[in-house]
Parts: sequence; structure tokens; C-alpha cells
Amino acid sequence: MATGSVENNSSWLKKLNLTWVTRLFTSSIGRKMVMGATGLGLCGFLVVHLAGNLFLYKGREAYDGYAHALHEQEWLPLAEAGLFALFLLHIYLAFVTTWENRRARSKSYVMRESKRQDRVIAAPVGSPSNWMFVSGAVVLGFLILHIIDMKLQLRPDVQHYAEHESFANAIAVLSNPVSQVVYCLGTVFLGFHLSHGFSSAFQSLGLNHPKYTPTIKVVGLIFAVVVAAGFFLLPIIVPMSPGLVEQAKQVEVSIDEAPAATAHP
Amino acid sequence: MASAHNGMRLTLKIWRQPSPQAAGRLQTYEMRDVSPDVSFLEMLDQLNEQLIAQGEEPVAFDHDCREGICGMCGVMINGQAHGPQNQTTTCQLHMRSFHDGDVILIEPFRADAFPVIKDLVVNRSAFDRIIQSGGFVSVNTGSAPEGNAIPVPRHMQEKAMDAAACIGCGACVASCKNASAMLFTSAKVSQMAYLPQGKAERSQRVLSMVAKMDEEGFGACTNTGECEAACPAGIQLSNIAVMNREYMRALLTSHE
Repeated sequence: MATGSVENNSSWLKKLNLTWVTRLFTSSIGRKMVMGATGLGLCGFLVVHLAGNLFLYKGREAYDGYAHALHEQEWLPLAEAGLFALFLLHIYLAFVTTWENRRARSKSYVMRESKRQDRVIAAPVGSPSNWMFVSGAVVLGFLILHIIDMKLQLRPDVQHYAEHESFANAIAVLSNPVSQVVYCLGTVFLGFHLSHGFSSAFQSLGLNHPKYTPTIKVVGLIFAVVVAAGFFLLPIIVPMSPGLVEQAKQVEVSIDEAPAATAHP
Repeated sequence: MASAHNGMRLTLKIWRQPSPQAAGRLQTYEMRDVSPDVSFLEMLDQLNEQLIAQGEEPVAFDHDCREGICGMCGVMINGQAHGPQNQTTTCQLHMRSFHDGDVILIEPFRADAFPVIKDLVVNRSAFDRIIQSGGFVSVNTGSAPEGNAIPVPRHMQEKAMDAAACIGCGACVASCKNASAMLFTSAKVSQMAYLPQGKAERSQRVLSMVAKMDEEGFGACTNTGECEAACPAGIQLSNIAVMNREYMRALLTSHE
């Protein structure tokens, strides 16, 4: 048998036998599985994130206490890296599959009409499942602003405080009209995205059965509404609560009185 | 004015494309005296007789058994694969589903994997190539065994039979926004995954059929459920989940 140099070069790859991993990222079904799995992972993040944000309603002490405890965790960079990987994979696959799916029908129909009779949302624009890329893109846009606002603190029109003043910073961002509009819009699209994405992920992972699929669909809708409403209400209720805004103002006063304190948090 | 016959008047807008390379366009035809009792294909026959009498080229469309079991016919009727009726092939759709004075738009099934040959006829041999890549059982199952010799429980027979009801017409591809062939492929994968004869080659089958499906240029599933609604044979979306499971199982357990 003549063994070429190409085969020799790839011998260690052959020993590892990673074709199943390549299939996971190159085949249509493998990609959908990764898409579903990362989507569900991101759903888990949403739950944790919303739960943390609910401390905002309890006031500065509770929120800062939670934020500082979280930021002190040694595993946090690892979790952040994992979260970043989930986002990156989910977004990358969204682009790849959307591109391939568009390519599958280069000549479109003059007329299209659904034959489904069980639409939950029977909008003239079609159901959420037809708009996953668009709703996902809007959520991504919101996410970028959200990171600029909260993590990078780069907004010139928002009065940011010292990094450890998590509560005051959150109030400052949530009181900004631009953030309020974009955040509310972003969460509506997030709910739209989740209303299909949650249950669709289970189907992509092969989990479809008369026993639990109807439950998953209902849970998916409830999840979408609860998560979207939970985040949606934050930039509306928080800036309108005098007690919370007052607590944030006290931070401002203390900074004004002792400006040196911000230099070494 | 009421005509002498009580048939319907229809305006047909039909995609005419003389050859695969030609651009193609919609052409409008007026029809009168269409009986509500004829099938959709018989209505097209009537149009073609009219066109031949006028010395024009008749409209090319695929058809064979006209009993709803061969999977040969299929066009987009007012934007819906096989027309407005669920679980019905174009040949089994009757003109009573339409009204006098209706405008009916007829297009071929569109997908890059299904190139138009002429007018409403598309080349669906990509489906045959998917079957050739693994949609069969190659283990020797011997001559026909005694009916009760192979232990297949009744409910598994029913599931396999439901999946095997696929007639391969391509309505799933035509109605999917991604022109995905997953409902078709999954029906073929699961019909054999359910039965003992098919189990021996299940991993190899799903891997090569999915690879072929991707290679042919079909899109991926986004779980919109349009295929299930358009399927004349009632193939269910759960088959795609079965294929996804089979695929995951093959990734994790096969030597391929």
C-alpha cells in the first residue's frame, strides 16, 4: 500500500478520530444540535442574570452585596469565557446556517402561503420561527450596547461611577433614555426569539415525544414571556422608584465629598 | 351573464419556462366551464387541450398515478405546496376547493436542489441520490419469513409504516423556507431505524444520508413546521427529531 505524505501528516488526527467533532460543526444536523445546546445554555444564563438583577429592587446594599460577592469569585473569568464561547458559537452558526439556507433557494416564489393551522402567533409577517436571524441580530445589537453601558462603561452621555459602585452605575444606565428605549426593544425581541428558540432547541437535540413536547412548547412560551417581561420592566420601574434613585444619589454625594476615594476602590 | 354550462371561470397565472436555462415568466390564461368535480390536474389537462387547439405549447407538469400514492405530481398553488387542502396531493385536490372567478397562481416547486426542467416540471433526482446513499437495507434478510417470526411489536410496525407513507413528492422541500429535505430524509431514516432489519446499518445510514442531503444543496431545518403542514402523506415533524437522535447516536457510538 502506498501511503502518501498527506496521510502521514494527518495520522495523529486519525488516532484522535475527531471526525465526529467535524461533523458536529459542518453537517446540517450537527450544527443545529450545537445551535440548540448553546441556545439552552444561554437560556440558563438569562435565568441567572435576571435573578441577580432582581436585587436591584431590594436596594443598594443588597445589589452591591450580590455584585461584589459575584465579582470576588475566582471562577468568574472561567464562567465569563464559557459564556463568551456560547455566544460566539451561537452567533457564528446563525450566520453560517442562515447563509446556507438562503443559498438553498436562490430563486424565490412569487407567492408564499403557510399551510399550518396551529399558529400561536398568526401574524401577517409570519411566526417567530421565520424571524430568528432578525430577532437574534436585534438582541445582539442590544447586547453590544449593554456591554458598552455596564461592563466597559464607555457611554459619554451616562454619568458613570467608580467600578465597584454597581448599584449606582446600574441606576445611571437604566435612567438614560437611549438605554431605556434600546433595552425595552431588545427584551421584546429577546422574548420573540425565545418563544421559538426554547422549544426548537429540544427538537434539534432530538427530544420530541408526545409525552413531553406539548409541555416543552408551553414552558417555552411562559419562559419567553417571563424572561422578557422581567428584563423589560427593569428600565421602566427602577428609574421611577424614588427610593432607589435616592440611594444612587447618596453615592454621588459621598463621591463629591471624598473624590480621592474613587481612585483606589 | 350565466353561461350555458354552470362551470367556473378561472384566471390562471402559470410559470412558463421553455428550458432549464431559460429565464421563465408568469403567463395568464383565462378558463371557463371548469367543473368543480374535476381534479386540479384534470383542470390543467383541460387548459392544455385548449392550448393545443389554439396551436400553443401545452403546459408541462409532472403526474403519474393520479391516485395520490406515487408522489410524482406537485406544484405550488397560490403559494402552497399541493394547494390549500392539508394531506392532499395536487392530483387529489379538486376544483371544488376553489371559487368561481378565482385567480390561481401556479409555480413549480422551487429549490436549487430541484432545478426546473420545463414549466412546472422539476428534477427531483436529488431525492433518489439521498436514497442511494443509504435509504435501504443491505443485510441479507433471507426469503419472506413467517409473519410472526420477526418480533416487531404492533406499535413499532405502526410507527415504521407511518414514516414509510412518505411518497417522496418534495412538498416538504418546496414549502420549507430553507428548502430543507429533512422531513423526507428523516422519514426514510426512521422507517428503518424502527425495524430490526434496519438497525444493523443505522449509524452508517444516517451519516451518509445526511451528508448526501447536505451535499445536494438542501437547507437545514429551523423547526418552522411548514413541511409537516404541506406533507400530503402526513409525515410528522417528530421524524426529524428521530433523525437528530439517530445522528447524535451515530456521532457518539459508531466507528465512522
